[in-house]
Amino acid sequence: MTNAQAPATQPTAVPLNEIESELARQLKIVHGGGEAPVQTAHMSNLIVFCNKFDLGERIAEQIPAVAALHPSRVLLLMGEQDPGENDVSASVQVRTQPAEGRHLVCWEQVTVKARGSAVDRLPFTVRELLIGDLPTNLWWAAAVPPPLAGQFLYDLTEHVQQIIYDSQGWTEPARGVAATASWLVKFERGPMEGQFRVASDLSWRRLRYWRRIIAQALDPGTAPGAAQSISEILIEHGPHAVTQAWQLVSWLASRLNWQVQAGNVEPNVEISWRAAAPKGGLRIRIQRLAESPPEIRRVRIAHAASGKPEAFSIWVHDGRRLAMCPEEGQHSMRTMTIQPQSVPEMVGRQLSDREPDPIFRETMAVAQIFAQGLLS
Amino acid sequence: MAKMLQPTSLDNPLTIGTPKVLLPQPCLLVIFGASGDLSWRKLLPAVYNLNVDGVLPSNFAVVGFGLGSEGDPDEWMHQRARDGIGHFSRQQLDDSNWDDFARALFFVPGSFNDSRAYAQLKARLDAIDAQFGVPGSRVYYLAIPPQLVPVCTEHLKEAGLVHGPNESQSFSRVIVEKPIGRDLESARQINLALAKAFHENQIYRIDHYLGKETVQNLMVMRFANSIFEPLWNEKHIDHVQITVAEEEGLTHRDLKTGEVTGSRIGYYEGVGALRDMVQNHLLQVLCLMAMEPPYSLEPNVVRDAKMAVLRCLHPFTPADVDKFVVRAQYIGGESHGEEVPSYRHEVREYFAAQKKPIPPDSTTETFVAMRLFIDNWRWAGVPFYLRTGKRMPKRGSEVAIQFKTVPQILFNAHPDVPLEPTVLSLRVQPEEGLSLRIASKLPGPKVRIYPVKLEFNYAAGFGGKTPEAYERLLLDVMAGDPTLFMRRDAVEAAWEFVMPILNTWSQSRARYLPEYRAGTWGPLEADRLIEADGRQWRIL
Repeated sequence: MTNAQAPATQPTAVPLNEIESELARQLKIVHGGGEAPVQTAHMSNLIVFCNKFDLGERIAEQIPAVAALHPSRVLLLMGEQDPGENDVSASVQVRTQPAEGRHLVCWEQVTVKARGSAVDRLPFTVRELLIGDLPTNLWWAAAVPPPLAGQFLYDLTEHVQQIIYDSQGWTEPARGVAATASWLVKFERGPMEGQFRVASDLSWRRLRYWRRIIAQALDPGTAPGAAQSISEILIEHGPHAVTQAWQLVSWLASRLNWQVQAGNVEPNVEISWRAAAPKGGLRIRIQRLAESPPEIRRVRIAHAASGKPEAFSIWVHDGRRLAMCPEEGQHSMRTMTIQPQSVPEMVGRQLSDREPDPIFRETMAVAQIFAQGLLS
Repeated sequence: MAKMLQPTSLDNPLTIGTPKVLLPQPCLLVIFGASGDLSWRKLLPAVYNLNVDGVLPSNFAVVGFGLGSEGDPDEWMHQRARDGIGHFSRQQLDDSNWDDFARALFFVPGSFNDSRAYAQLKARLDAIDAQFGVPGSRVYYLAIPPQLVPVCTEHLKEAGLVHGPNESQSFSRVIVEKPIGRDLESARQINLALAKAFHENQIYRIDHYLGKETVQNLMVMRFANSIFEPLWNEKHIDHVQITVAEEEGLTHRDLKTGEVTGSRIGYYEGVGALRDMVQNHLLQVLCLMAMEPPYSLEPNVVRDAKMAVLRCLHPFTPADVDKFVVRAQYIGGESHGEEVPSYRHEVREYFAAQKKPIPPDSTTETFVAMRLFIDNWRWAGVPFYLRTGKRMPKRGSEVAIQFKTVPQILFNAHPDVPLEPTVLSLRVQPEEGLSLRIASKLPGPKVRIYPVKLEFNYAAGFGGKTPEAYERLLLDVMAGDPTLFMRRDAVEAAWEFVMPILNTWSQSRARYLPEYRAGTWGPLEADRLIEADGRQWRIL
């Protein structure tokens, strides 16, 4: 579907106060031609924020893939702190994509670029471009953890029901995790009573298959006692995926009631903790692989479900599946297919998942404790 | 001393809080009749898609059982599945995904009536359990004719292949395809046979219509929006039309050569549209449309609410059947600009090809229309028109709710130009969606009222691809959620409702049915049925 997307009109530069009229003009052009019924589809207002122009250009290329899964009015904001300049410019474009049947779906993209102190005006520019009665989502595409953006984020999220961010690639993971865990609680409560908001981390979404297959491997129905008798966990990950590994460990710790005791960091090599579980102690290690895609590559869990040491490994198999196999005995590899995990596809799917995820919140609370163990 | 209960998947601390539907449990899916059409067209492609989507448990495998294999059984199964997936899968066949799927795909040859075959099946299933870490849990999909259900369930039980309903470590569930029986008596016998081997909460009577998004959306639309439910009654609704139209006949042909490529005559002849569509699909959709708000989404609460509708259906007398039920059969006509033969021709052709005696001219109906009432406070006096047929101009299923017209004053004052009534239409297929027809003023100084259709299309509005109904329903069975499946009492209540029709028809000994040309919306008799009430069938 993504490949079949086509810009129905060319990006047209417009003054800010003529954005809506230009959109209306372009939509009229689209509706006027062709035989297929054209439907303007908006599931959401999607605000996308990038803190660098070059990042913004890369994100712009991904937006059609997001809209293929979740047609939206897209407001792409690019803001770059440049002390010498102070201006705002905008352009609009209508795009179409085929849907099932005879329909042709169209949606619009407004791109607003700001430099210098004009960046702070972006949240106010957005307000007049939102379509009423639709959910509003913010894709925070900047590499800065959202809580570190201060007032700007506060202004930008005033009308937002969901913020999507990606902790993959954070330069200071411990600081980012600790700050985000505190911020999450306040953000999701919302500025007004009864208002719900959700914060979603794409790294957490990437973990869904890992969590599912680990849950199956430790299921009391198939491996009674395994989850309670874990003695060691090793997670191997590629560069930039340390927060993913961190979240995976924190999730296990929160579900299995582990108490972190001490942590140690060997920069760019390994993070390790000792933890106490209800039935004994365990060792946790997160190891960075020098050359590998930015994701978790392997998890090895040792346990003593049957009273003697056992272990199983889960690894990325042929790039499209997770495979699991116990180390003892004759077993066939068990597999689980992974859906494509490209950023636009994950954003497109996450936009529809608007329910708060208490497991994520609990995981982040534990992740904060793990982080404090290292920061102190 | 109290028995210590082993922990189960339900006690998994890593999945607590996850919606049940997202937790299909480790099991083996055993397909009875794996060489058949349903398995080839629907089931194997559905499982393949679930595997590609990554929603199946990692401890999972598929085992076909039955006759029909040639050569190496597993290899034969692989070829059969690959062919079906290549033709019918929602997602393209891809070598990497296929290899992964085929690793866990097996076939055990054997007759459904041979106890030794079940012993072999059991041995193979145990071996596959060990291979894939499955704790002995099974989903048996009986993709077989209804008359074979009792013999299969009896053998399964005797061979020790059915766990009790309270077994904590593993489960046994059985999926039964519609039609459950061909009348009330045979349905009861099948249900009885099922009950001898399985507890009711282990039985999943599947009606794939209930897995379709729009059908599920019926409840959401009614009970998640405050504007509809206050109008959802006899005070505001004039009538309801439920239509399931199919453009296909019972025989598939190669468009270029005209050669027969497939036929459902063997199943359909003697069954007909009433048993095939009305007794299950249409009545189930009617129940969702007409039921009272259930007090929770617990499976049995929803099913109780649907059951209450079936209990309130006004029963037909023989005189009612003559007056308010129309059956018909298609004669030759056109489909997509091509000539197509009559149903009777297709029947003769089928039996000749099978080298079986050609039966006398068929009186199996390929079209049914009826008017029925629901005798309860909400729906008293509101006619429900049901219609289904083969070889109609196009494929389309919808539930259309026509609201009462506004008083004949103001904009509706001119008796010669009445306002078009407001209609809410829920499309089940194709292009799932809904539309609302309302009256609006045309621009200009003169007050001219014009009907406007507000339209929502699932695919266009929501983006992405919708899973097939079978995919959703298979996952529900693996997760142990029976909400979208028919309960025994509902199946029997639906048969009770249609039995007077079947009895009246059988007593009439008609040699000819009303006819309609292939490629039309049904016989004149059906038009007269609704026009007698001053209404019209909707054009889909």
